[in-house]
Amino acid sequence: MSVNYIPRRFTVVRDRDLCINCGCCVRQCSNECHYFTDDNEKVVVNSDNCVACHRCVDLCPTKALRIEKYVCDYRDNANWTPQYQQEICRQAETGSVLLSAMGTPKDYPIYWDKILLNASQVTNPSIDPLREPMEIRTILGRKPEKISVERKGKSKTDMPPQVILETPIMFSAMSFGSISLNAQKSLAMAAKKLGTLFNTGEGGLHPDLLDYTDCAVVQVASGRFGVHKKYLENSRYIEIKIGQGAKPGIGGHLPGEKVNIEVSNARMIPKGSDAISPAPHHDIYSIEDLRQLIWSLKQATDNKKPVAVKIAAVHNIAAIASGTARAGADIIVIDGFRGGTGAAPTRIRDNVGIPIELALAAADQRLRDESIRSRISLVAAGSFRCSADIVKAIALGADACYCASAPLIAMGCHMCQTCNTGKCNWGIATQRPELTKRLNPEIMHKRVENLVNAWNHEIKEIMGGMGINSVDSLRGNRLMLRGIGLSEKELEILGIKHAGE
Amino acid sequence: MKYIVIGASAAGLACAEEIRKTDKDGSIKVFTNEEYLPYSRPSISYYLKGVVKESNIYLRKPSDYASRNIEIITGSCVNSIDREKKEIKVGRKTFDYDKLCIATGSYPFIPEMGNVRSKENALTFLDLAAVKKVKAKAGKNTRAVVIGAGLIGMKAAEGLSKICKSVEVVELAPRILPSILDEKASEFVKKYIEEKGNIIFHLGNTVVKTKSKGKRVSSVILKNGEELDCDLLILAVGVRPDVKLAEKAGLEVNRGIVTNPETMQTSDKDIYAAGDCALSTDIDKSKKIIALWVNAVKQGKTAGSQMAGGNEKGGITYAINAIDFYGLRIATAGLINAEGSQYKDMVKSDKGSYKRLIFEGNHLVGFVLINSSENAGIYTSMIENKDDISRMGKMIDETASLFLFDKKTREKRLKGEVG
Amino acid sequence: MKKVYAKEELCLNCRLCEVHCKTAHSRSKDIIKAYKYEDPVPVSRISVYGDNLGSAAVSCRHCDHPKCVEACITGAMRKDPKTGIVSVNESKCIGCMTCLTVCPFGCIKIEKTAIKCDLCQEDGEPACVKNCPNGALVYLEMGGGKA
Repeated sequence: MSVNYIPRRFTVVRDRDLCINCGCCVRQCSNECHYFTDDNEKVVVNSDNCVACHRCVDLCPTKALRIEKYVCDYRDNANWTPQYQQEICRQAETGSVLLSAMGTPKDYPIYWDKILLNASQVTNPSIDPLREPMEIRTILGRKPEKISVERKGKSKTDMPPQVILETPIMFSAMSFGSISLNAQKSLAMAAKKLGTLFNTGEGGLHPDLLDYTDCAVVQVASGRFGVHKKYLENSRYIEIKIGQGAKPGIGGHLPGEKVNIEVSNARMIPKGSDAISPAPHHDIYSIEDLRQLIWSLKQATDNKKPVAVKIAAVHNIAAIASGTARAGADIIVIDGFRGGTGAAPTRIRDNVGIPIELALAAADQRLRDESIRSRISLVAAGSFRCSADIVKAIALGADACYCASAPLIAMGCHMCQTCNTGKCNWGIATQRPELTKRLNPEIMHKRVENLVNAWNHEIKEIMGGMGINSVDSLRGNRLMLRGIGLSEKELEILGIKHAGE
Repeated sequence: MKYIVIGASAAGLACAEEIRKTDKDGSIKVFTNEEYLPYSRPSISYYLKGVVKESNIYLRKPSDYASRNIEIITGSCVNSIDREKKEIKVGRKTFDYDKLCIATGSYPFIPEMGNVRSKENALTFLDLAAVKKVKAKAGKNTRAVVIGAGLIGMKAAEGLSKICKSVEVVELAPRILPSILDEKASEFVKKYIEEKGNIIFHLGNTVVKTKSKGKRVSSVILKNGEELDCDLLILAVGVRPDVKLAEKAGLEVNRGIVTNPETMQTSDKDIYAAGDCALSTDIDKSKKIIALWVNAVKQGKTAGSQMAGGNEKGGITYAINAIDFYGLRIATAGLINAEGSQYKDMVKSDKGSYKRLIFEGNHLVGFVLINSSENAGIYTSMIENKDDISRMGKMIDETASLFLFDKKTREKRLKGEVG
Repeated sequence: MKKVYAKEELCLNCRLCEVHCKTAHSRSKDIIKAYKYEDPVPVSRISVYGDNLGSAAVSCRHCDHPKCVEACITGAMRKDPKTGIVSVNESKCIGCMTCLTVCPFGCIKIEKTAIKCDLCQEDGEPACVKNCPNGALVYLEMGGGKA
């Protein structure tokens, strides 16, 4: 069809005074927006396919390019917004489910922005992290009910397997397939340097990453891709993925065109075949079934690996968390609905699930109320944009946080939200060799490392201000938080007081 | 060790410098019958045009010879070589040697055309002394006639056309630059030169007679009867290898001095030969004189290294030439006029450029590139290394680059390794 | 000696090395002036060949035994015995292209004279290396460069 009723979204503006027609943009845009005139003299642009990924903008040596929102007004209508109209047109054309990528862009409340942190004044003085030790080392895993100690101070208790992290920040699950090997490798390298963990997602472990098994979390998801005994052993802990914040109740679908030979080997599926993760695990219909899987995985690894269960933040998250803890999980990961994804049905992403702040607070409270909080570690996921978000999450009860979007942004992601097209110009969400090579792990792992180090510094500084010198003293310390502009009910769920109280 | 090199152009200098690389102490004497320190012979036409100043025509600074302890003895004609005594005679003096290299080059062949040798405005165009005379004679009213449309003749014609009133070129062959261009390319270049250079060609023709006024040639008469007025006559019919010394010394000579192509040794194990006076082995294994700069340097280096006990080895040589006429850039190498069914070629030409690659089986053996010479050295290296080109399909359409090679070869080359 | 090495597997074909080389060898040292307002237009010493699937930036290898120096008919092309840098003396060069015809890497261009990489230094490394966005060009000692 020649007319699609949808105006383009962006206009690429080229400043002719600055453009030197070097053609860098032409060769960098996988959406083929830029091209040479027939005589190869001049570069011109057709913005129709521009996704505002900024690859051309950032690489242009004279900064001659600018991307503008394409403004084409519709008659004002608070209900029938242009976006809904355009989505209808798209579906009228294709007859298919709308797909989107990354976290929801919708304007739901972000509670991090409505929570304020405390600082010490006069009493309980603040601590200068540059002069005094500040501990952010984080330990994940089941803690024993009680510890008995020998006379010389040695523990007599057999400790369940523990995972020691040098920072409460980990990298969340992103499979090889959904992201490039270079992207995954960058995260792995950064994790190794930082003393934290990256997560294979359910894409299996590529042989190139075997040097990084001591900082790997391996995922077992409904598709069981790439799972074998060695895979389980090549990890610090095993994560059973029940759900994902961006698409609770939905499985995954990696289109066959992204399943190249490398991906197919890592996932143990035929090349070019669609990798479909079912919505449920077909062997889990109850907490008891979950218990069996956790038990099996522990048996398979000689009880040496903690087992985590990742669940999406949904309405009865507290009860589900409790059940999961009782099913024998050592770590529960709760993924809030603002979390990212390589591809999700738009309607699911934008309408299903609840924010991580509320889910985390509710789950933490429930586990405390049931006196089983120490059995498990709580990991929060679902969009942490800065170190303050992390501090707030820890104060709400998280042991550690999973970040994915932030390190991707550090590697070049501009949140163009078109991961599903496989044309990622930054070499992240693509398997096309000419694009994946754009991401050099040697450079990118340093950027990710820098980012986390910067956040670590900030976390220490914030903690110091509170007069707290260890992340253990911050955990669940909701007295350090105050709500602003929140209702009684929201404050009640978050378990915090309002500012001024 | 005592080394003597006879001749101080491309081969002689390369030989002397190469000896010094291997033997830091031996004495090196280079004799030249010219009055100048080694200079760039191919630059003489640029000197004529005024593009190159005399001070820039010298290949090395005088201090370079001193610092390398290479003695250049100018203006000294070597009369003979005594192989028994291992000495050479220069005038009345004798100099003994342990190793000797003959790099006497070539001399211009002057046809018998009515005592033309003795005319003061009939000049050759091979060395600096000659071109200085030409420069002194050429002015803006000069009508110049050049006999010979080879490299020397054409370069002379180009240089003169910038200075003189008119330049006419007479050539026996039906085309210009026959030694470096194939037929079509000749035609292409000729047209271009006629357009840009204001040169008139008389091809397939020859000077049968000269008319003189006193000591000056006043006009030449061509085979077809045409008479060309002439204030300056350049004799560039061709060159002959200068093998007199070698012949006199009883070395094996067959047009050029016969050498072992690997070592450049002559029939006397202590005497080497290099450059225009020595025979080369071309790609098709034929023995011939390849009177070109790059070849002379290569042979000079081989000879020098071998004389000093180094391990630089020669081998197959091939013609390689780069030249420009009025901004038209020509690069050629290898067998460009090869005949025989074993040779195949690919040609691509348009208004402004001409590109021809010549193959034998899966090997590139020659190229002619006119205004399409970017990275010509890549082709040269293919000829030299006998690279298998069967997987380089689109060669003729592409600019030569390392991407013609497979990944492994390319990676090696990117590191700076060849072969 | 330290040389520029290209890593094909990391080359983006963005050709920013060419842009920055050209600028570094311009009179103004300003990209826009170099491209739009300088006469003669400066020339990049480095060239990217290939396409988005496989490309590499090629510049002078500064060979140990440079064929260009050997072949130079005027003595304009020289290898500095101390630094190892192969460079053109522009006042001697007549632009005859012999060097280009023998360089097995395709690293020499000809305008009025031969033009090639001089290992220019910008904060301790050549402009191409400094401005490569993906680490595809490195400046280091590798002991290569036999040729």
